[in-house]
Amino acid sequence: MKDEAKLMDCTEFKEIYQELDRPGTSGYRFRERALSHAEACPRCGALLTEGEALDFALRNLAESSARWEASPRIEANLLRALQQAKLAGSRQRIRKQFAILGAAAAVLLALGIGVHQRITSRARTTSLDAANVAGSPEAGTTNDEVAVSSATPGESTSVASANQADENEYAEEFVPVPYADDPAALEGGAIVRVTLPRSALASFGLPITESEGTDRVSADLIVSQDGTPQAIRLVSQENANSDF
Amino acid sequence: MDDGLLLRRVIAGDEGSFTLLYRRRHPAIYRFALHMSGNVAVAEDVTQEVFMTLIRDVKKFDPARGTLSSFLFGIARNHLRRRWEQDRHSVALPDDADELETLLAACAGAGKGTPSNGNGRAHAPFLVRRDEFTSLETVARVRQAIATLPENYREAVVLCELEEMSYEEAASALDCPVGTVRSRLHRARALLAEKLHDEQPLRRASAVGE
Repeated sequence: MKDEAKLMDCTEFKEIYQELDRPGTSGYRFRERALSHAEACPRCGALLTEGEALDFALRNLAESSARWEASPRIEANLLRALQQAKLAGSRQRIRKQFAILGAAAAVLLALGIGVHQRITSRARTTSLDAANVAGSPEAGTTNDEVAVSSATPGESTSVASANQADENEYAEEFVPVPYADDPAALEGGAIVRVTLPRSALASFGLPITESEGTDRVSADLIVSQDGTPQAIRLVSQENANSDF
Repeated sequence: MDDGLLLRRVIAGDEGSFTLLYRRRHPAIYRFALHMSGNVAVAEDVTQEVFMTLIRDVKKFDPARGTLSSFLFGIARNHLRRRWEQDRHSVALPDDADELETLLAACAGAGKGTPSNGNGRAHAPFLVRRDEFTSLETVARVRQAIATLPENYREAVVLCELEEMSYEEAASALDCPVGTVRSRLHRARALLAEKLHDEQPLRRASAVGE
């Protein structure tokens, strides 16, 4: 028995004998000592022989299977998949760009609408202020009567036409009030524009709802020579203010 | 051109680089899947799935966690396990074993210049030299012995012995510590030796000049 063999016992040998040819392992590091031990120890020598036979058989199997390859169909399938993935990727990029553009357009639109509404509401506030000044007692009229036109109904047509020509105003047809007693006034009476609570419309025979009771509306009245209202028409409330 | 550069080109959509990478890496994946499943169709499906996954999730590969090879083997292993969950019959069916033996014989014949009609079983004994016959027989016996190993041991043998991976690479592919790979391989080799010894002592045809 060589001296080197004495440095390794059977337990150590069994631990490493399967990896004598595997670089980086302790078996590879102590290969020479293990071989010496196997030479000296018949039992470990038999183990080593069996291990080498197994190595040989495994190498044979590895060599036999070294040329195994998947069929070319797989490569073709994969290339098709890669092309589709590329296509899908570019479509996704385009969709993302469209989404960004759409979002930007929506933001711009919202901003535009906001600015427009602010300008409109500011103009309305200005008009209402002007209307309140015009309708105040200091202006020489009652709170409800804010404008009086002495035009005849013939003229009122022209007034109405003029008003209708104004894009901001919309007026309905005159409706006789329930207590009208002077049909002639419909033809020759004066037209008076008033601003009055919507609840007051009930006194002219027009239907209202309770929720509307506190609103103020603009209306044109045809009044007879004695000042009695004979007919009424509503002027679009939103836009009528711009007349004042 | 190394795998990293090829991968970067694949990410950029370069088909040529993908083809190169596939041709370089797929045989090992295919062999692993075939040794593990014993079924050519399953091995091809798994190979395709592995590279499909690479196309879809190429950015999931992290070079800091292991080589591309280990990454691909890991994917293959997951696909194989999924397959086994779906169909337990894909391993060690008699037909599959025949198919693999046929393939082994055909490859062995083709490699040594022996006439082959594409069916290994058709090799007439008189066309095969004695050492080749012995080798084929040994190869078939070893393959069958490997096929009967528990899955964890089989993985270790295929990766470390047949694909000659280091313990570290195998550990990365199998997602387990190096020590586990080493002990599984030791145990697997002991089992293999036992199985082969039970049948008939291994003959080292070429080595002993039989």
